[in-house]
Amino acid sequence: MSALSIEGRHIGLPLRETKWMREFYTKLAKQFPLGELTEQRDNLAFISIEQPQLRPLLMHLRDKEGFSHLVLLTAVDWIEEGHFQLTYLLSNRTNGTDIGLRLMISRDDALMESIHDIWPTAATYQRELREMFGIDFPDSPGVYEDFILEGWNNIPPYRRDFDTLEFSTENFAQRPGRETKDPAQHMKQQLYPDGA
Amino acid sequence: MSIRDLLSPFTAWKYLLKNPVTIPDPLNDRPGSARYRGFHKNDNEKCIGCGTCEAICQNGAIDMLPVKGTATQEGDSGLRPRIDYGRCCWCALCVDVCMTGSLTMSNEYKWVESDPDAFRFTPGVDEKFWDNAELGYQRPEDHRLVEAKRVTMEEMDADTRINSFAEIVNGYSIEQAKLEADRCVACGICIATCPTHMAIPDYIDAVREGNYERGLKLLYETNPFSNVCGRVCTRKCESACASRHEGEPIAIRWLKRHIIDQVPFEKYREIIGEPDAPTGKKVAIIGAGPAGMTAAFDLVRMGHEVVVYEAKAAAGGMTRYGIPEYRLPYDALDRDIELIVSLGVKVHYNTRIGSDIAMAQLEQDFDAVLLAIGLQEGRQTRIPKSEHEKVYRAVDLLDKITSEEAFELPHCAVVIGGGNVAMDIARSLARMQKQQYDQVDVVVTAMEDQQHFMADADEIKEALEEGIIIRDNCGPQGCEIDESGHLIGLKTWKVLSILDENNRFAPTYDDSDETIHACDTVIEAIGQFSDTSLLGEELTEKLEWNRGRIDIDSNGRTSESWLWSAGDCVSGPDVVHAVADGHRVASSINSYISSNESSIDKQS
Repeated sequence: MSALSIEGRHIGLPLRETKWMREFYTKLAKQFPLGELTEQRDNLAFISIEQPQLRPLLMHLRDKEGFSHLVLLTAVDWIEEGHFQLTYLLSNRTNGTDIGLRLMISRDDALMESIHDIWPTAATYQRELREMFGIDFPDSPGVYEDFILEGWNNIPPYRRDFDTLEFSTENFAQRPGRETKDPAQHMKQQLYPDGA
Repeated sequence: MSIRDLLSPFTAWKYLLKNPVTIPDPLNDRPGSARYRGFHKNDNEKCIGCGTCEAICQNGAIDMLPVKGTATQEGDSGLRPRIDYGRCCWCALCVDVCMTGSLTMSNEYKWVESDPDAFRFTPGVDEKFWDNAELGYQRPEDHRLVEAKRVTMEEMDADTRINSFAEIVNGYSIEQAKLEADRCVACGICIATCPTHMAIPDYIDAVREGNYERGLKLLYETNPFSNVCGRVCTRKCESACASRHEGEPIAIRWLKRHIIDQVPFEKYREIIGEPDAPTGKKVAIIGAGPAGMTAAFDLVRMGHEVVVYEAKAAAGGMTRYGIPEYRLPYDALDRDIELIVSLGVKVHYNTRIGSDIAMAQLEQDFDAVLLAIGLQEGRQTRIPKSEHEKVYRAVDLLDKITSEEAFELPHCAVVIGGGNVAMDIARSLARMQKQQYDQVDVVVTAMEDQQHFMADADEIKEALEEGIIIRDNCGPQGCEIDESGHLIGLKTWKVLSILDENNRFAPTYDDSDETIHACDTVIEAIGQFSDTSLLGEELTEKLEWNRGRIDIDSNGRTSESWLWSAGDCVSGPDVVHAVADGHRVASSINSYISSNESSIDKQS
């Protein structure tokens, strides 16, 4: 999340008023069907959209609105709802504003069209998402190559049904000197050792 | 190579005179953002050591350990989380789940050490340079992993319930109970606070998985009065619950009742199991209340012969003769009693020790004797003219109501006292007035202000809903009698203070602020005491006493080696405390009679 942490504090970039974001959203909503607007900060907001709107919106934002930079593409596993949420975070370098487009895709046979033709860097993110979440992006360059998990033979590790604790316990030894106490047992020992 | 490739290095020249995007000194000029998930902070005062952070950590990075200067006490394990930064991934689940909001993150992300073990540290205890960082990640207000509000317990509305003694509370449905059980993080901090140390997280887990027979077994391991406690427990556990810090405590009492509601009584015996083989030892218990019957339950299961002597016609003590039916229906109490009796406990009802059978007789006939006689006598205010026949003690009237003994129902009653017994008698009389006179006229007066009444907040709220009038800060000064000798009112003065500087009871009044509360009956509900005349003079002389109560050691044993005492008469009024006492003395009696000590005592 380091990209988010920079928070538009680049020297010389003005922070926009929240009002600007809302006006921008209203203007955009006249051209595209948009879902909910979530304002995270004065210069960062998220807009929920439907999958078919993604490509036209990305093109519009990049070419007409100055959002020339794809900051990141990431996913969230909403396992209870059976969805993956994809977030395309774009940045307008000129006015220091970031907009995230959020959309849901089905968790079963998760599949999404690639946008590497709009931003070539997207291929890297898509390759990562395929590896970590098991979301397929057909035609994305190198999408089936190992990214950082070499020789992985488990379910994709960012899926919520992956047991992270079990994996870390099995694969990583504890540093010597680790010990822990159960709160209830410790209290018994301290307060009523005889059981009464 | 194209022309473009050849020229492009030169295009960079155009940026020469522009402001650089690069941060010149990134280590210092680039602080983490306001919500950055940097190094951990823990407010040691706020933290209760519940270990929920450890439980949720997906990297096994957190240990719970005692720290110097933080004591283990009720509601606080005294443990604090130590984090191993060799494993932490800064996902912040620990912060999101923290039950008190003590654990947060700073926006600091740079930390250099040569000693790798330094990266295993206890935030808030081991001082760090980011401890006072203002920015950093905290759980946003609306972002909660566990529901803050408890599932509402449905109950009868005031207009309906005032017409009868029917139970007010409906109990949870299976769906409601599961939702409520899901709020429990199973930290187990509550167990130490429960006087009988019930396996609370385990039986809540049984509710979650719908395994009610396992739940019942767990309840009976520590509490044979689970029917009673599922309804009227003082639930001290809930005041220690981790969930109370950022929301409502888990409805532990109602979940206990839910287990009880789900298991048919016919199954109890099978679940609880058979007593051990007979030992040939005999124990007499005086008083069939929760303390006496809990001890009877334990001792009979250990194989001892147990005989209970009860002065009244039925068992249960104050839970039957004090607590009204609308809070604790008799059939619920009867189930607890029946189960204990079914294990082979003999109960002699209507048998008063002292007059019917002497203590000396019990001492002679049994290996050990337990005195669990409760607090049956109501205290009197002894204000002027309070000896009038229409001035009652609340416990006496509650007893009459249970025993269905006739008394002249007041048209207009004034209760003195702000505790649960005051509420019990006020609400019982209100119901009877509604049935007989079709109107409620009960006033509760107490010396405290309403915020400081001893009664449960629920009791006060429900009493008010039922049309009972509460007048607080009223100190009783005397009863008003008319010329023909009828009681016509209670005189009170406004209370200015109750305790003196040494916290002793020494009320001061404003005597110019006098109120006459018109009534035909006054009921004193200012506390109870124990009638120990059954002991007889000789034994009373022999026993050690402590401020009017029989002196006992930590096992409930008196200064006489054959005699134990338990429950309200030695510990003060509280059902679950009496249950805990019962277990304690049973264990002590068992070790005494199982050793040769008792036979040696008998011979001497």
